[in-house]
Amino acid sequence: MNQRDVELLSAYLDGQLSPSDSARLESRIRSEPELDSVLDDLRAARALLRKLPKRRAPRNFTLTRKMVGLAPPLPRAYPAFRFATTLATLLFFITFGVNTLAPQFTSLAPAFGMGGGGEPEVFSVQEAPAQDAAPAAEAATEAPLESASSLVPEVTALPPAEDSARVIDTPAAKSGEVGNAESEDQTQIASESPSPAPVVPSGWMIIFAAVALLGSILMAVMRRSSANRWK
Amino acid sequence: MNEQALITDAQNGNLDAFNTLILHYQDSVFNTALRILGDEDKAADAAQEAFISAFKNISSFRGGSFKAWLMRTVTNACYDELRRQKRRPTTPLEPDTGDGDEMDSPRWLADPSMTPDQQAEADEVEHAIQHCLDNLPVEFKTVVVMADIQGMDYTEVAVAVRVPLGTIKSRLARARLRLRECLQGFAELLPASYRLDERSAA
Repeated sequence: MNQRDVELLSAYLDGQLSPSDSARLESRIRSEPELDSVLDDLRAARALLRKLPKRRAPRNFTLTRKMVGLAPPLPRAYPAFRFATTLATLLFFITFGVNTLAPQFTSLAPAFGMGGGGEPEVFSVQEAPAQDAAPAAEAATEAPLESASSLVPEVTALPPAEDSARVIDTPAAKSGEVGNAESEDQTQIASESPSPAPVVPSGWMIIFAAVALLGSILMAVMRRSSANRWK
Repeated sequence: MNEQALITDAQNGNLDAFNTLILHYQDSVFNTALRILGDEDKAADAAQEAFISAFKNISSFRGGSFKAWLMRTVTNACYDELRRQKRRPTTPLEPDTGDGDEMDSPRWLADPSMTPDQQAEADEVEHAIQHCLDNLPVEFKTVVVMADIQGMDYTEVAVAVRVPLGTIKSRLARARLRLRECLQGFAELLPASYRLDERSAA
């Protein structure tokens, strides 16, 4: 008897053989006691397995939505709110960025170009006295004319006339004070220069921020109410 | 229970429909896992995992025997658990009798409808069979559990295990023979009504 015979006997036990194969095997079983013995073994093992008690499940295995990662059904309008909120948030940050960065670009652009504008010239005013502070005596005779001629165009551009006059008139005598005086002047100039208007009106930024905030709140309310309905 | 309608509803995401199917099949699924794993807690975990996985993948069910499809899922969950056990072998915590011996018949397995003698008898038989099942290679064990304990036909078992019908026949025959040999070692332990008396068992 070989493995093939055991498989035939097992299938025969389960009624899985064709009628002709069954008949052939039955005749062999009658003539071969070993086959009959193995068939009895297989039958006994199967009977014993079938006698095993069926256990009841120790608990119900029913699933909750959380277990399978299902999200509560949201209102149909939810995607529209999500889109509007995302868009408003995006636009808010874009306008904020544009309004913050644009003035810096516009003020920097000339400095890299022709060297024009007020600030580079002003720096020369600041630096000149500081460098000439030590040789105050020699500068006292020469500086007024030179500096006056070189500073005239820019000094005239400065709003307070008396300050510019002071810069021109007393470079040598008050050489130690000139630096400080010039610094104060520059601070004054900077504070008095008009701040550039925002590229995008600030009203738009407020609208975008309001839409984004309102949309977020509404979406949170929708999610909460959907979750509550599902419970 | 209209099984096909419930399956269709479940495929459309209806969890309540799937839960109805679970209630119908949970004992079979749990018993299969219990006989493959030999441990009630692990079997419960595997059954739960199998149902979660089944719901998530129910769209892949294309008809045929739903029980066989479900058994394939629980078989996979059991194989995963066995692989985990292999990676992290643990010492089973069997109930203790108090004097250091393990209790053969845990209280939670007791059936209140049986007398103590009957219960002891049933426990002995169950333990012997489970012991022999545990000694089988897992692929043999799976086939014999489905065919002989769950009463599934060869085709269903083949679907569940995803092997050809001929392999099922071969594995089943060899598993039965091995079980027979193993159980002969318990012959004197088995009560008279459970003896491997082939003629009466037939």
